[in-house]
Amino acid sequence: MLSWTGTSLLRRLWRPARFVPLAWRNLLANKPRLLRSSGGIGFAVLLILMQLGFERAFFNAALEIIHLLDGDIFLQSASKYRFATRDPFSRGELDAARAVSGVASAWPFYADWFDVFWKNPFDGKTFLVRVFAFDPDHPVLRLPEVKGRLAQLGDPDTAMVDRHARRFLGMDRGAAQSELNGLTVRIVGSFSLGPDFESDGTVVIGDRTYAKLLPGPGGGPPGVEAGVIKLRADSDPAAVQRALRAALPPGIAVLTKEQLLELERRFQADVSSAGPIFAMGTLVGFVVGMLIAYQIIYTDLTEQLPQYATMKAIGYRTSYLIRVVLEQAAFTGLAGWIPAWFLSVLLYRAVGELALLPMRMTADLTLISLGLTLGMCLISAILAVRRVIAADPAEVF
Amino acid sequence: MTEGEVGLGRVRRAARVWLAWRILTHDKARTILAIAGVFMAILLIFVELGFFFAVPQGGMLLYDNLQFDLLMTSNRYEYQAQPGQFPRGQLDRARAAPEVAQATALYFGSAKWRSGEDGKSPDVFVIGLDPRRPIFKVDAINRQLAVLEQLDTALVDSATRPMFGPLTTGRIVKIGDRNVTIGGRYVLGTGFMGLGVTLVSEQSFARLFPYRSLDLVNLGPIQLKPGVDPDQAAAELRKRLGPDTLIFTRGELEAREVAYWTTRTSVGLIFGSGLIISFVVGIMVVYQTLATQVSRQLPQFATLKAIGYRERSLDGTVITISLLIVIVGFVPALAAALGIYSVIRDETLLPVAMTWPRLAAVFVATLVMASISALLSLGSLRRADPAELF
Repeated sequence: MLSWTGTSLLRRLWRPARFVPLAWRNLLANKPRLLRSSGGIGFAVLLILMQLGFERAFFNAALEIIHLLDGDIFLQSASKYRFATRDPFSRGELDAARAVSGVASAWPFYADWFDVFWKNPFDGKTFLVRVFAFDPDHPVLRLPEVKGRLAQLGDPDTAMVDRHARRFLGMDRGAAQSELNGLTVRIVGSFSLGPDFESDGTVVIGDRTYAKLLPGPGGGPPGVEAGVIKLRADSDPAAVQRALRAALPPGIAVLTKEQLLELERRFQADVSSAGPIFAMGTLVGFVVGMLIAYQIIYTDLTEQLPQYATMKAIGYRTSYLIRVVLEQAAFTGLAGWIPAWFLSVLLYRAVGELALLPMRMTADLTLISLGLTLGMCLISAILAVRRVIAADPAEVF
Repeated sequence: MTEGEVGLGRVRRAARVWLAWRILTHDKARTILAIAGVFMAILLIFVELGFFFAVPQGGMLLYDNLQFDLLMTSNRYEYQAQPGQFPRGQLDRARAAPEVAQATALYFGSAKWRSGEDGKSPDVFVIGLDPRRPIFKVDAINRQLAVLEQLDTALVDSATRPMFGPLTTGRIVKIGDRNVTIGGRYVLGTGFMGLGVTLVSEQSFARLFPYRSLDLVNLGPIQLKPGVDPDQAAAELRKRLGPDTLIFTRGELEAREVAYWTTRTSVGLIFGSGLIISFVVGIMVVYQTLATQVSRQLPQFATLKAIGYRERSLDGTVITISLLIVIVGFVPALAAALGIYSVIRDETLLPVAMTWPRLAAVFVATLVMASISALLSLGSLRRADPAELF
């Protein structure tokens, strides 16, 4: 029974073999040409993958910090137009939020992008960095290494640094102390985050150190950049969000994490040139790939024309021949896509390390690039296949 | 070498180009395809190169539109939008130098523009200047400088993003804690200064940033007396002013900005790698075409070999084909690149422009591309064996 099923399965798998081997054999008939064509298509695909990878990295770098915030609902100034800008609100609003039923906790996240200068401990030069801060008793960042050093961050004048910051900041070499705006801080550890397109490096400090560096108006407590709210397990997030909106003044926006991400995504897409720049690169890669594929398929068809005509003469249908051509085109595309995919994984890693960009191969990048590859090969094949349709057995010889 | 021999060499070379041309035009459809492929690859090189230079150029936007021979900055100078501060007294000391005609102060600040669309408060880059001293090269600014003498009045860069709301003259907007009247617009471009840029007088600047003293200056553009050599004057001023301030000549400043953008940021790597990949793609396209041509014409090449053509001469033919394809592809690519550059300028506000060195560099890269492809496809040519032919 088992073996019978096996054979049947094999036969079923094998059945398309009635036409697969022809496309397959055509493909393998001329190995140097296969190498050449997969090289040509492969590099076009590599170009597409790099452009898509950069685009993703650009957006991911901007969204990374929002992903790291450990909460369900977030408060921020309604006038805040992007995450990486200072637009603080008063800490008192968090007390009001805490009183709303369904809210388990509401803690402040402090941040600054334009006012804190870090001194490279090795060459003494100062550079603008972004600073994140929170109450070490109530951590709001999902950075495991930071969570392991909360006690030290509670001490005044301590800091943790990003060892993936740009190298000229000197954060990756384990210095014991440095300066923030002239204030000497003890470095109690490091974490791995990486720069975005705005900031070169990140420092995480406790709220007391933050208050010392950037006191609020009149020397009071500093304003909160984001309120990080966690909900009770049994609460309805939408209902709590509505209740929070009702309880807080209109100057405070109440957002889910998805809404906060969407706000940032829309801002980046609106104002930055990254989208169009990389879309153009992707498009050029696609068109070049299509031209290369067309050339390959067209040449091959020209060479095989007598054979196709012969097959027609002995009774094969045109639809079958078209299918052979399309299959062969798909195989050619795959032969280019597979090495390009592997090469791009290596390049992502290398470029990601060098440029400190979050370049990651993901399932959807894989699928998109595969779809584009098959698309460009099949469109080319459809354009080229007219030759086969027109192949007249009587005229070939 | 006699004159006759030289003449023969010329004839042979012309014949080789002719032969290459005949091979190319033999199958026009295929040649057009090849040229289209090369066209796209060269176009991409132009585009990546355009971006590669546009980014530092975006950083140079302000400087390109300022009148100065030397620029004074703090020794903490990073790049234009992060210049550090130095004491205003340094400008007076510079003014006292015999070479200097004028030294002015520029102030930079960032403030919340509290009158944005949808109740948002985008950050605006504020430049404070002395309205009595026109130091911009932009006509629209110089014509409207008098408007700035009115306190709390600003000129707004027309490239300021739509999220700032309408930029109509007379509109009163809240910047930081002050109401400021828009006194007019000018066209310069926001570069990397931010999403919006405004110009105000020093007095208005001091009111917008009350915690800042006008004694600390961000940039000091210096104009020299006619005939003074900027390099010499820069050396003199450095001696006179000490190590706390830097003096840049225009050339030094440009080198500094370009180095900042290409090495300190990811820009160099992103567009650099794009450049390399488009170059390789170009090689693949030309190689693909050549290899196809060679294998299709293999019997003919073998025949040529049989009737006494040297291998070198046949190699020369392949290289000539390759060069012809890229040269023919280069011309429309250049035209399309000019078109795309202007689209990019409008869409991204980056100052992408074609320059002669860039054009020459791409042309040379194109020729290199053609040569590499030709060398790669010579292997197939070697297989042309007259004995196997018939």
